[in-house]
Amino acid sequence: MKKLIATFAAAVMALAIAAPAMAQTEARIHLIHGIPDTPVDVFVDGEAVFTDFAFGDTQDLSGLAGATLVGLQVRLAGTDTVAIDAGDVALPDSGNYSIIAHLAADGTPTIAVYENDTSAIDSGNGRLQVRHTAAAPAVDVKADGAVAFSNLANPDEAKADLPAATYSVEVVPTGADEPVVIGPADIALDEGTSLIVYAVGSLDAGSLTVLTESISGLGTAPAEVPTGNSPVDGGMPLTVVAGALVLLVAAGGGLALARRSH
Amino acid sequence: MRRFAISLATIALAASACSTPSQTPSEEVAAPQMTSTTVPAPTTTTPPIPSLSAEPGFDESPQSPLADRVASLDSALYDPQEHAVETPTPVTLTIPSLGIDGADIIDVGVTDDGEMEIPDAGRVGWYRYNPVPGESGSAVLAAHISFDGRPGVFRYLAELVPGDEAIVTLDDGTTIEFRVVETAQYPKDDLPVERVFAKDGSPILTLITCGGAFDRTARSYKDNIVAYAVPVNGAGNGIAG
Repeated sequence: MKKLIATFAAAVMALAIAAPAMAQTEARIHLIHGIPDTPVDVFVDGEAVFTDFAFGDTQDLSGLAGATLVGLQVRLAGTDTVAIDAGDVALPDSGNYSIIAHLAADGTPTIAVYENDTSAIDSGNGRLQVRHTAAAPAVDVKADGAVAFSNLANPDEAKADLPAATYSVEVVPTGADEPVVIGPADIALDEGTSLIVYAVGSLDAGSLTVLTESISGLGTAPAEVPTGNSPVDGGMPLTVVAGALVLLVAAGGGLALARRSH
Repeated sequence: MRRFAISLATIALAASACSTPSQTPSEEVAAPQMTSTTVPAPTTTTPPIPSLSAEPGFDESPQSPLADRVASLDSALYDPQEHAVETPTPVTLTIPSLGIDGADIIDVGVTDDGEMEIPDAGRVGWYRYNPVPGESGSAVLAAHISFDGRPGVFRYLAELVPGDEAIVTLDDGTTIEFRVVETAQYPKDDLPVERVFAKDGSPILTLITCGGAFDRTARSYKDNIVAYAVPVNGAGNGIAG
C-alpha cells in the first residue's frame, strides 16, 4: 500500500509541476478506470463524489480544474475499505490531461497522469497515442503488419501522426512476431482526431485488452483547393491566340508591301 | 508549489491505516465491548466481489458537493462495432441552372503537399474528411474550372445566384436538394477555411472552384470561387452528424 500511495503522490507532483507551464485556456481532465475487476467509490473529504466506478468507466473531472481535492480516498465499491488514501490532491487549472488507474508492470495498482498532445494535426492525418498501462513486459505495437512503436514498456507512451484510416493493430512482445497478446483489432484513426489507446490488464491473469479515448477537433483544412490549371478565355491558350495575331499582322504587312510596289 | 498540498505526514498516516493483516494479529480477538473504528485491512490480492446490488451509491454516505462538478463519460472499453456503421457517400451532382446533369462525384483526400485532391475535369471531388451532404457542417464539393485545356464541371460556377438549386444523390439512393444562399470570390490565401471546411454547425453544401486572374507561369488561378447552399427542407437529411 505504501508503494501505491507513493506512486500516486509522484504522479500528482508531476501534475503540479506541469500545470504552471501550460498556456492553454480551459482544462480537460479525464479519469479512466484501467484495472479489471476492481470497482471503486471515490470520496473527497469524507463524501462520495462518484460511486461504482468500474473498469473502463471514464469520469470528466474538468469541472474540478484548479480545485484541491481534500482527503481524496478511493475505496473498494460498497465498502469502507480504502484502496488509495491520497490526502490532498491539487488539480491543474489548465491543460489537457488523462489520469488512469492501472496496473504497474509488476501488477501493483497505481495511477498515471498523462498530458495529451493537442497540437494541430496536418490535413488528412490522425494521431495515434499508445500508452502501456498493463501488467506485462515491453511490447511492440504493429499497425497493418508493420511495427509502429517498438519496445514500449509500462508506463511509457508513444505517438505518431498517420494517414487517417482503419488499421489492423496487434500488440506483441517486443522484438517478436508472436504471441499476439492484444488484437488483432481494427482501430479507426479519424482525420483531425487524436486516438489514445491504453494497453490495460494483466498478462498473467489473461485480462489484457485496450481502452480508448479520443480528442477531436485537432485537424487542419487543406492548404489549397487547386481547381484549375488552364485559362478559360474561349478555351484557347493565350500563346495560340498570340501566334495567330502575329501571322495576321505579317500577312497584312505583306499585302500592303505588295500593293505599294505596284 | 503552494498548491501541492500532499504532505508526507498525511501519506504516512494513511499508510499506517492501511496496514497489512500480519501487523495486527492481536486485534482479531475482539472483546465484546470493543467497538472497532479501525479501517479493516484492505486485501492486496483478490478484491472482495462487488455487491450484487446495482444501486449506484449508498444512502448512508453523504454526497459531496463536488459530485455536481464531475460527469461520467462514455466507456473507454474498446467497441469494434463503433466504427462499423457505414455512412453513405455522395455520388452525383445536378445543378440545372448551370447545365450540370448527374455529374459523377468521387471521394477525395489530400495530396502529399497537403492540398485537396481534385479529380479530372469531368468529375467532382467530395472531401471525405468533411461531412456528407446533409449532415451537420460543411460538405465540400470541388471541381475544376478548367483543367489541361478542357472545361471543368464547375466552369460556370461564378454564374450561380442565390435561389439556384443543387441536387445531390447519395449511394444509398437518397436525394437531397439544396438552394444557393451566397456566392463569393476570395484570393486563395484568404479562403475562409474555418467556414468552408467547418466540421459542425448547420448543414451547408459548399461548392468551390478557381477563378480570377490566371497566372500562366504558375498555371494556376489567383482566387477561389465559392457558393454556399442550404438544404431545401431546412433540416438536413436526417443522417446522424
